[in-house]
Amino acid sequence: MTASTPISLALALDVYLPVGIVVAMAILFAVFNLIATKLLGPSRSGQTKGITYESGMNPVGTARKRFNVRFYILAMTFLVFDVEIIFLYPWAVGYSQLTPRSPEATLFLGRIMFFLAASVVAYLYAWRKGVFRWE
Amino acid sequence: MESSFVPQLVTSAILIVVMVHVILGGCAYAILAERKISAWIQDRVGPNRVGPKGLLQPIADGLKFFLKEDYTPRNVEKLLFTLAPAFAVIPALIAFAAIPWGGTLELSSLPFGLAEWLGVEDQTVQIVGANINVGVIYMLAVGAMGVYGIALGGWASNNKYTFLGGMRASAQMISYEIPMGVAILAVILLSGTLDLTTIVTTQRESGWFILQLPVAAVLYYICRLAECNRAPFDLAEAEQELVGGYHTEYSSMRFALFFLGEYAHMITGAALFAVLFLGGWSLNPLPFGPDLPTEGGLLLILLQVAVVLAKAGLIVCFDMVVRWSVPRFRFDQLMRLSWEGLIPISLVVLLATSIMVFMGWHQYTWVASLATIAIVYAISPILGRESNPNPRIPMIGSRFSPMSDHERPVAASEQLAFAESVGDDR
Repeated sequence: MTASTPISLALALDVYLPVGIVVAMAILFAVFNLIATKLLGPSRSGQTKGITYESGMNPVGTARKRFNVRFYILAMTFLVFDVEIIFLYPWAVGYSQLTPRSPEATLFLGRIMFFLAASVVAYLYAWRKGVFRWE
Repeated sequence: MESSFVPQLVTSAILIVVMVHVILGGCAYAILAERKISAWIQDRVGPNRVGPKGLLQPIADGLKFFLKEDYTPRNVEKLLFTLAPAFAVIPALIAFAAIPWGGTLELSSLPFGLAEWLGVEDQTVQIVGANINVGVIYMLAVGAMGVYGIALGGWASNNKYTFLGGMRASAQMISYEIPMGVAILAVILLSGTLDLTTIVTTQRESGWFILQLPVAAVLYYICRLAECNRAPFDLAEAEQELVGGYHTEYSSMRFALFFLGEYAHMITGAALFAVLFLGGWSLNPLPFGPDLPTEGGLLLILLQVAVVLAKAGLIVCFDMVVRWSVPRFRFDQLMRLSWEGLIPISLVVLLATSIMVFMGWHQYTWVASLATIAIVYAISPILGRESNPNPRIPMIGSRFSPMSDHERPVAASEQLAFAESVGDDR
């Protein structure tokens, strides 16, 4: 493995200053649109106009209620996998630069397979528990 | 000949300013294209009144959005309700920065002796907004942020339709994020880098990755549709059930910003698909045979930018054809497709690809893809389907009637009504 090269300030600026430009342009665009439409459009309000639109019915209660717990369990399962994938990206770069069939590559492959298997067990458990079923 | 600070920064700045406008204009015309394509598919004409063949329709639409009332209903969370459209459009607009549009330009090839005049004749610049060496991770990270706008807008509206739309969008986004990440991982295993420009140059030598990794390409395409909330995955704005979904309470330009975000996301995703799987600016999908020259002047760069944009445009058009051809999923089907279908398949793709890389058979990865399909077909009967996800309810008189048609009891009034409706008055 090669030693990591130190990142100079100029390189970081070269690379990330444009990202700053894009972010600034996007924010400007969004804020401009929000303000311009507020200023240009007409503005009338009314008692009935202000109520929540529920297909013409009078709204019953608020929407800020408890929601289905399956969304929450799903999000937990997602977190497990997403963190795992973040670990897999640097692994993939390092692994694909190794000599094929060398002992080092075997070690890399074996370790990541163990790592994957650990979360696949959790995934299968969640599957059997019916986390992914929405009937 | 190495890349240097100032010319690269200037190139990046010019490219960003140009590309923001290209993408915003592209969004406006993608909406027109969507209306035209849907019209052709449904045997209609589509918008054709504003300008020649309706080409000025996006401008008319945009002006009209500005001039409509920007209404804030009484019960909403004011601050978040105002900011949510911005949250939806900003990530979509900044995601494109890492896309390489046209490779490397040698400044010595600029016309009119411009390079000598500027004193940069021995330098090169990358035609990319931000020359990030972890471009793939940047795209994934920024692309996934788009759901914040939808979820916040749905929650802040304090409306049951929008709330359900926001919940659905979040659940859908996180479910399809995983197979998408793993499908891209297969590309990284083959190319050995997170730098998008290098991924394209790798594909010039090894052939397009859609040939090497067809299963990963299909997975990425499906997940891309789901991440953009495009049909058949547009559960978040399912008109028949949720009115407008997360944007039910929005009007005027705030409403339009959600759509700009969706279309910008589509275009960026299509460009990323072109770069990852369709060889970027390469024209020859095979690892041998002729291709664009590797070195050339400004004209070659412009041609390469045009090739990437054309590929992205074709993919966006294909999205639209898919939208008007495939019916929408039901929510439980959507979740099962991802968690019980795409994620296991993507893990098998990852396993097969890493084994091929381990053996050093990079150019035969398509065999691993075929093996993946074989494995999926072999295993899927074993997993078993304990219940039918689409139960037919037997009901007398319905088309799922347990009785066949000729023994179906027909009421006398029904016969009469039928005779009247066909004009049978003999």
